[in-house]
Amino acid sequence: MPATEGSFIGRSILSIRRNRVNSIDGSPEQELEDLELFQKHVSDRFTDLLHCQLPQPPASPVGDSSSASPGDGTAAISAVDNILSIAWLRKLLDSFLCCEAEFKAVLVIGRDPSQFTKPPLDRLVPELHDRTVKALDVCNAISHGLESIRHWQKLAEIAFLALQQSPFSDGQVRRARKALNVLITSMALDEKESYSNKTTERNWSFGRRGGAAAAHREQNIGYFRSLSWGVSKTWSASKQIQAMATNLCAPRGNEANAAAQAVYIMGVVLAFVMWALVATIPCQERMGLASHLPIPRNVGWAQSMFGLQEKIAEEWKRKEKKGSAGLLEELQKIDKLGQSLFELANSYSYPPEEQKVEEIIALVGEVADTCRKMEEGLIPLQRQVREVFHRIVRSRTEVLEIIDQVGKLSSPMN
Amino acid sequence: METTPPEKSSSSSPDNQNVVSSEPESSNTLIENEDRKHPDVEGEIKEVHVEHEESSSAAPGGDAGEEDSNLDSVSDEIDRFLSLLSSMKDKSTPPDIPDYVDVFCKLVEMQIFTYDSGDASARFGCNPDEDSRFLESVNRISKLTNEITQFRSANTYYMVSLNRTSSVLQLAMTFLEDEFRALLEVSNSEGLKNEDSNARALKAKQPSFNFNSNSNSNQESSNGLPKTESDNPEENSSPYSPEVVARLNKIAIAMISGGFEAECCHVYIMIRHHTMREAMSRMGFEKMSLDDVHKMNWDYLEQEINRWCNIVKETLTLVFSTERNLIEAVFSEYPSIYQTHFKDLARNVIIKLLNFAEGVSMTKQALEKLFRVLDMFETLRDLNLKINEASYSDEEWENELKSEICTPASRLGEMAYCIFCDLEGSIKRDTGKTPVPFGGHHPMIRWIINYLRVLSDYKDSMEELFELHQKSNEQHDETAESDDPLNDSKTLHPSNNNNKNHRNNHNQKTKKMSGFRAQWMLIMDCVDKVAEAKSKLYKDPSLRYIFLMNNGRYMLQKIKESSEMQELVGDAWMKKWSSDLRTFHKNYQRETWGRLLQCLNQEGLQVNGKVYKPALKERFKNFNAMFDEIHKTQGQWVVTDSQLQSELRVSISAVIIPAYRSFLARFSQYLDPGRQTEKYIKLQPEDIENAIEELFEGSGHLSMARKKT
Repeated sequence: MPATEGSFIGRSILSIRRNRVNSIDGSPEQELEDLELFQKHVSDRFTDLLHCQLPQPPASPVGDSSSASPGDGTAAISAVDNILSIAWLRKLLDSFLCCEAEFKAVLVIGRDPSQFTKPPLDRLVPELHDRTVKALDVCNAISHGLESIRHWQKLAEIAFLALQQSPFSDGQVRRARKALNVLITSMALDEKESYSNKTTERNWSFGRRGGAAAAHREQNIGYFRSLSWGVSKTWSASKQIQAMATNLCAPRGNEANAAAQAVYIMGVVLAFVMWALVATIPCQERMGLASHLPIPRNVGWAQSMFGLQEKIAEEWKRKEKKGSAGLLEELQKIDKLGQSLFELANSYSYPPEEQKVEEIIALVGEVADTCRKMEEGLIPLQRQVREVFHRIVRSRTEVLEIIDQVGKLSSPMN
Repeated sequence: METTPPEKSSSSSPDNQNVVSSEPESSNTLIENEDRKHPDVEGEIKEVHVEHEESSSAAPGGDAGEEDSNLDSVSDEIDRFLSLLSSMKDKSTPPDIPDYVDVFCKLVEMQIFTYDSGDASARFGCNPDEDSRFLESVNRISKLTNEITQFRSANTYYMVSLNRTSSVLQLAMTFLEDEFRALLEVSNSEGLKNEDSNARALKAKQPSFNFNSNSNSNQESSNGLPKTESDNPEENSSPYSPEVVARLNKIAIAMISGGFEAECCHVYIMIRHHTMREAMSRMGFEKMSLDDVHKMNWDYLEQEINRWCNIVKETLTLVFSTERNLIEAVFSEYPSIYQTHFKDLARNVIIKLLNFAEGVSMTKQALEKLFRVLDMFETLRDLNLKINEASYSDEEWENELKSEICTPASRLGEMAYCIFCDLEGSIKRDTGKTPVPFGGHHPMIRWIINYLRVLSDYKDSMEELFELHQKSNEQHDETAESDDPLNDSKTLHPSNNNNKNHRNNHNQKTKKMSGFRAQWMLIMDCVDKVAEAKSKLYKDPSLRYIFLMNNGRYMLQKIKESSEMQELVGDAWMKKWSSDLRTFHKNYQRETWGRLLQCLNQEGLQVNGKVYKPALKERFKNFNAMFDEIHKTQGQWVVTDSQLQSELRVSISAVIIPAYRSFLARFSQYLDPGRQTEKYIKLQPEDIENAIEELFEGSGHLSMARKKT
């Protein structure tokens, strides 16, 4: 996949460059042509994402039977074709990087730099830059969220490694149960930003020091939070997204030239991608995330993005009430499977009923499958988030340098 | 020999499990599950307790000594059984399971309950011999579990035994995990006290270079930034005592060799990450969002930068020596484990620290930011050097972190470069038209020279930055010709530019003047021009020269105070500057005192060889008036440099006093003694000498102040 993505960037940039080379000074016609191309590519990429048909994991019959249990979330997720899976997120970030590269080409190449200091760009570009700084904070928060997910993955791995082979011994079942307990509890902790004592009155440490376990709990919460620390206590992902979305409206009247349009489109893409990340990955403070995004409904390039937003927002609303660590498919699965497996392990006794063993084997298979996806996908995703971070910073610097030079040239030097 | 009947064994765990499963199955929600979980464990423990009492009452004289010898002999039996099992090729027909497997399990359980009995003297860690025996037993039970696992499908006895041994193993491992956690936690707080004092030492704030201050000399002297290395004598101190580390190590070995690596590492990482976080927040590390950094005003940001630089240095010591030593000691038998986890921890902390640098590198550039930006650049450069030492030769990790460090570092470097290059423009843009009263130091000249003085401490970094800039420009030219317009040319690629670096160094050395020095000299020229331009604001040519001398002298003194500055401006410049100063001095002498000397000229006083008295009277009158005027005016003028002041006075006296003396000697006789002499010879040579001593005192400042109020 990365190879094809790469060549895709190459091709689209080159086509823009070629066009620019043909007419050295960006005539209005040329600019419009470039903008159309940019819009088309944005539209194509998000259409791809909307109709994402990633290969489904082989569904095991027992897994299906378990998914019939109450409060199941896996069915809803498979209905949107693995949107929100790790693989999908990576594709989303790839698309973002492509859009970003193309945007910069549209904005910078062949443009008279002095345009940056004149309306409407003198206002729109700084506005976009404000948004990008906020996006960087989101990237950081996401990196920390991914860190938490990796620890959940490790806990899930303990469970499936313990229950890899049947018949299960009591010791293995207990080991799995212990890891699952920590997994479920810490995921639930993350779900509720403000948690009352009642909901967290659980024993974390399975220690023989029964009484001490409660004292350990506070400490444990601290430990777990330390794993993913990084943003200040008052930082709110939801507010950040909201701030990115304010003033994000289509240019009008005589401001609506090609460059202004491109800046606007990039602003929408940026806000959408960050919003999707926040909805997917555990993040600090996400109240009311479903409602913040002003994506135009009836514009060609935004249609697929709008569709995606509706799907994700719907999913978010469904999960928000229950409290959710994030919509990431693998995370939802681990949560769901972890709870089911925990229940099964709790009621497990030797000699076991045949059916129960089969259920466990099936669940463990799914956990293993999900862990494998996490193992393969999380680190590349983490790198990609860093790449997005660095790309945003770099582009920002490059544009600022151009503006700076214009400033120097225009101010008289003695 | 009969195998243990399943009925007996099942009295322990399977029964226990039955109790569990007999509980209502309907409990679907997590909370109910959890609530149930707790009594379950308690139940497990109680149950085994009961059994333990049973067994000890069944075995007569269950005192400690007997248990020990009992354990030894049972252990021997277990070892024999283990070697028997491992020698079996055919896993389908296992030997019978001997009774002492169950006995052994009970003994291990008993030991855990003794540890856990609440008796302080019986706790883990109080009796090293016993602990070692226990850890050996855990090792044995883990092997036993592994061996039995291979035969579990052969017959149900094996499964029953497996349930038994694996449960005891799980219990032992949970015990060890808790013990491991408790050790890490308890000693933690002691370790933190150390870190606390370090943090306090960091609170000492670095002085700042204030752009706007019309600084007095006290302030100036403090502007020479102290680049303190926080040399921590306890650099290698561990947060845990050697005994605790040894115990942690033993537990780690027991858990990892028993197949519980994941649990062991999870606890370790959780607690050490947490400690790291706590330590950093005590140092004052605030998790600021980039948005915050972006909006922060400079005064506040400057303090944050100072703090950040210290925190980075301190954290590096913590991570790269304290944490690294600790993890290597605890997991000493498992290099791949400690390497992986150390690299994770280090990466995690470094990325967090870098975020602030990213934030600052995105702020707008401004003259006053230069030194703090350079501080950050140097801090990151030092950090970059440390990465090699800590990478365990993992190039991928090394390169990733280096590029993470170099990205903000190169932007900060570029920022410093641009700020410095902008200095010239800022100086030129100054259009102030008000002369400094009485020829004193011009605030702008003083500001520039102090700015340069501080900058000279960063000479090496600046040289490096000019080289980097030049190199990146060259790369830019190259990439401009290549196909990819988006190729990143601004970042320092850590891995692949060694050769280029080398080449560039070579180039730099063969050149006569480095880019930085060339720019520096441009600024010196600028200052020269500024001084000249500002001197023209004075109408009085004498004052003009005093101004030039004052400011020139000030610069020269500042440069002489710093060997870096001397080196930068070079001998030739120093010579030229000194000779300029001498010229100003001469010109001043001529302007002020040359005219006065005219009065003492003998020419025109004699008519036909006789002294013409009215002319003589006129001369004395003129001299007195002119000297008074000079004394009054130039007494107000300021020469702050005491050496320059005395040089001026000496040179004035040397010209005026002898001339006056000889004039008096020659002509005073022509005036009538008494009234006439008194009227015309108002000044004795001593009076003049005294009056000269009163010149350039800056009394004008006082009188000006009085006038204003």
